[in-house]
Amino acid sequence: MKLQPVRTIHSLVSRCISHLSRQCYDVIVVGGGHAGTEAAAAAARMGAETLLVTQKIHTIGALSCNPSLGGVGKGHLVREVDALDGLCGRAGDWAGINFSILNRSKGPAVWGPRAQLDRQRYREFIQGELRSISRLTVLEGSVEDLLVAEPSPDEPGSHRVTGISLENVLNPITASSVVLTTGTFLSGSIFVGQTTSPGGRIGDAPSSAGLSHTLKERLGLRVGRLRTGTPPRIVKESVDFALAELHPPDRRPTPFSFMNTHTRCKVEEQVPCYLTYTTPGVERVVQESLHLNCHIQQDTKGPRYCPSIESRVLRFPGRSHQVWLEPEGVTSDLLYPQGLSMTMPPEMQLRLIREIPALHRAEIHSPGYGVQYDYVCPTQLSSALQVKTTQGLFLAGQINGTTGYEEAAAQGLWAGVNAACRALSTPPVSLSRTESYIGVLIDDLVCRGVTEPYRMFTSRAEFRTALRPDNADLRLTPKGYELGCVSPSRYQEAMRVQRSLQDAMAALQALTLSTARCREKLPDVRVSESKNAALTGMELLQYKELSFETLASVFPERLSSYLEFSQRLKIEAVYKPHCDINKKEIERIQKEENMFLPQDIDYFSLPASLSQEAREILDRVRPTTLGAATRLEGITPAAVVSLYNYVQFAEKKGENGQQKTTRSK
Amino acid sequence: LWHFLATLIRLVSTFNGVPAGLADADTIFALSSGHGRCGVAVVRVSGSASSMALRCMAGLKRRLPSPRTALLRSITDPHSKEILDRGLVLWFPGPHSFTGEDSVEFHIHGGPAVITAVLQALGSMPGMRPAEAGEFTRRAFQAGKLGLTEVEGLGDLIHAETEAQRRQALRQMSGDLERLYQGWSHRLKRCLAHVEAFIDFSEDELIEDGVLERVDSSVSTLLAEIERHLKDERRGERLRSGVHVVIAGATNAGKSSLLNTLCQRPAAIVSSIAGTTRDVVETGLDIGGFPVLLSDTAGLRDSTDLIEQEGVRRARERCLLVLNKTDLLPEAQRQKLERELKGVSGLPPVCLISCQTHEGLQDFLSVLQSRVKTLCGDPLSDAPTLTQARHRAHLQQCVAALAQYQKLRDTDLALAAEGVRLALTSLGRITGKLGAEEILDIIFKDFCIGK
Repeated sequence: MKLQPVRTIHSLVSRCISHLSRQCYDVIVVGGGHAGTEAAAAAARMGAETLLVTQKIHTIGALSCNPSLGGVGKGHLVREVDALDGLCGRAGDWAGINFSILNRSKGPAVWGPRAQLDRQRYREFIQGELRSISRLTVLEGSVEDLLVAEPSPDEPGSHRVTGISLENVLNPITASSVVLTTGTFLSGSIFVGQTTSPGGRIGDAPSSAGLSHTLKERLGLRVGRLRTGTPPRIVKESVDFALAELHPPDRRPTPFSFMNTHTRCKVEEQVPCYLTYTTPGVERVVQESLHLNCHIQQDTKGPRYCPSIESRVLRFPGRSHQVWLEPEGVTSDLLYPQGLSMTMPPEMQLRLIREIPALHRAEIHSPGYGVQYDYVCPTQLSSALQVKTTQGLFLAGQINGTTGYEEAAAQGLWAGVNAACRALSTPPVSLSRTESYIGVLIDDLVCRGVTEPYRMFTSRAEFRTALRPDNADLRLTPKGYELGCVSPSRYQEAMRVQRSLQDAMAALQALTLSTARCREKLPDVRVSESKNAALTGMELLQYKELSFETLASVFPERLSSYLEFSQRLKIEAVYKPHCDINKKEIERIQKEENMFLPQDIDYFSLPASLSQEAREILDRVRPTTLGAATRLEGITPAAVVSLYNYVQFAEKKGENGQQKTTRSK
Repeated sequence: LWHFLATLIRLVSTFNGVPAGLADADTIFALSSGHGRCGVAVVRVSGSASSMALRCMAGLKRRLPSPRTALLRSITDPHSKEILDRGLVLWFPGPHSFTGEDSVEFHIHGGPAVITAVLQALGSMPGMRPAEAGEFTRRAFQAGKLGLTEVEGLGDLIHAETEAQRRQALRQMSGDLERLYQGWSHRLKRCLAHVEAFIDFSEDELIEDGVLERVDSSVSTLLAEIERHLKDERRGERLRSGVHVVIAGATNAGKSSLLNTLCQRPAAIVSSIAGTTRDVVETGLDIGGFPVLLSDTAGLRDSTDLIEQEGVRRARERCLLVLNKTDLLPEAQRQKLERELKGVSGLPPVCLISCQTHEGLQDFLSVLQSRVKTLCGDPLSDAPTLTQARHRAHLQQCVAALAQYQKLRDTDLALAAEGVRLALTSLGRITGKLGAEEILDIIFKDFCIGK
């Protein structure tokens, strides 16, 4: 498989409203960030006529903050989005200029594929992809409001969204499903020093107050407020690199996508990162500028793991903090100082960065700033990312309280798939936390909600040893193909890989060696003396010092045809015993997740022995499955048994009813 | 049915902090009647290996007894074939049993020694483990043996049986023991948080040097502490179930007299059970506040079996030499004997008594008491000891899981971390559950994570 050649890219043809071929779509996606582009592309792949509405067509696919993709946990999400035929993995392979696998020494389950990106190339690729997808139309415009109608009586919910109205346009556009991916634009305010202004990103118009009003007042959604920030961008030639540590990328770039065997960027073209550290001077500037810093004085929740330099210094004083100097592109003359997100006045920002040795004469291209924005408490969503009380309204990305491109892309893709399902009248689909990080992400959001911007970590996944970056294709591609969001070519490739791996593992299992022969054939493998039984190839591969290549060189006739999968086979062999241990629990959880709770239950009048507290929690969260209910805080086992009891009873009644209808026919 | 199963295991396990794991693959057993001395005790076994247990322990080589019919059998140890007791066995093939699985009941004598022996024998067979609190009821649930209305009522029961029992177990443990386990759990959480921080953040962020090394040393220290706690030679359990004291010796040495004498001491509380299988008299005594099970059989013999030799050697270490019938000895000979005994090295403590005249008996009793006290440990002053076999099982799992960390630490940290997680889960069965958020809280408290 090769990288797709990118078509000559001008900007996407901006279509004004009068050119639209229709006034009615299956799916409308509002927002052109990571969530919006994945949502629109996924919905269109599913076969839905899709419209993507964005304020500025040329910022589609823009990396608003850091110029990088992936990392530990996040890289898992990129691989999974790619396995479902999403865009970000291939875009990363096209735009990456510095590839590395983080955690290389810590075990394949926690490897973190990561790349520094060229901002321009990334945007180009995403825009090119969107142009090439049939059934997808892109429209530049500002959404004024949602069209809200009476709910359809066939589904639960107290409202129904039927489309959008645009600013300065008379006729609304209707759709079965609307996906909102407005990022930080929902009642967003920008903070620099003591000044604040409305908006979600510097340089872009604030989003409509009507949208925000409708979500809160008409649809009655609970919202919370979060904050985030971005560092100043630094002029590259003003940096004294001699005073920073050089960090070269991996010698061999590893692509994100299962469909790519190599990246666009060649080894020698890769651009390095630099590492440097804060000094006591930095702390002093933070202290001196505190009274000039509105953003930091407010108590809106910011992320604990991606804090501004101000909060880092205040929470952990007297320490030296890391600052990474990351390239913004091959031709860009800017650097992104990761770790220096700040909201103090611009002149103080300059004083601060110059306290760092390598930046002693640095110039700022554009100052850092903070953003505060509304998010919709995600416990109001189903695992299909649809608002439970509002038919046809889907939310994805930062609007759900998450942070990060990868988290946004993952939700966007899944919201797009479900928006299309609804439009095409197929039932909603969900991903289990036992099969994917996307499932963990969505389950955490809709079951637990957020108190700070949510970011993926590998420690959030209970079944980390099974949900590895290497096997995302086996876990998700067949399912995605069944749903319709994966192309036949990707599916065939995944099937080829699956068959080959199965054959190879069967060959390894069939290969048995007595310990004596092991020592003779594989003298470097320290097979324990006490073992008398013969060892299979699978067991041998569990020895740290034996690679598949070595084993295949000893038994070429049996194994050499699988050399393409050397690394994956080694990983499979090492992890198999651990995954087997988890299998039973995974099956149990999956069964619970298949027990659906009707969305229209009146929990307050349910004839079951539930405490008032449990009823309130269940009424507020409305878990979609019994599995989700068990994970709610404050729900006791007794309450779950009662619920279970109710569901069983309801199901039985349903079955009897069906039997009756069948008989009467 | 499957749904039922899934839910209930899941929900109960949520409460125990136990990922349900391999729970239902095992055959479980427990004393189903109350603890403490009683006439008859019922030991219940449930699961696929029940029939095997019945065959091995009730000497039923050919076929199983008719279902639900009481049968009087000798109950033997499956390995040594030693007869443990004689009692009733009942066979309940699934699904017509309380749990819906194959089940067996042993109705045995209620003495702690008999019960312990039978439980140990069951535990020594493959695929068998002690039941969790409430596990029989849970399995009954899973099998759909309880109807709708019962389920309603049982909702609260499950609650009571898991969380409350855990609390109760903790309360039962002396405060020191609880503090000890909570302390381990707390330290282990910290270890896990630090390993997780290292996995999730060390590439991007400044995680101080030596985080993992500190985890290593914490794990080693913990491992050593838990292992030492496990190697307490069952002092705590012994204190709970009694020290076995055997009177051995040549016939007509006065063993029975000694037993009777001891039983008739007003200081000793007597509850005597005549053994049904052998001519054994086993008596429960309270010596200086410590429970003692006294029997006058099973003497020491020479053996070629290595394990038995070791057992005999250990038993000799704990010997008291009692010479009876001093009343028959003239004073001069007696003094000579005492002098000569002092000259022999390597002899256990010697007591000269007369069951007839009770001469020397008081001295003997105080020597015996100090011996028993050493074996049980002093619950007031010593380090806390294990009191329950169930706790021991969880701690052993914990030790094995920590060993996994040590083994895999350098090759695959993700798998090593899984070991710490498992260890914490095992400990969580005693101390309570743990969530991912709790680990993240520790991470963010201890490290400056920031991009």
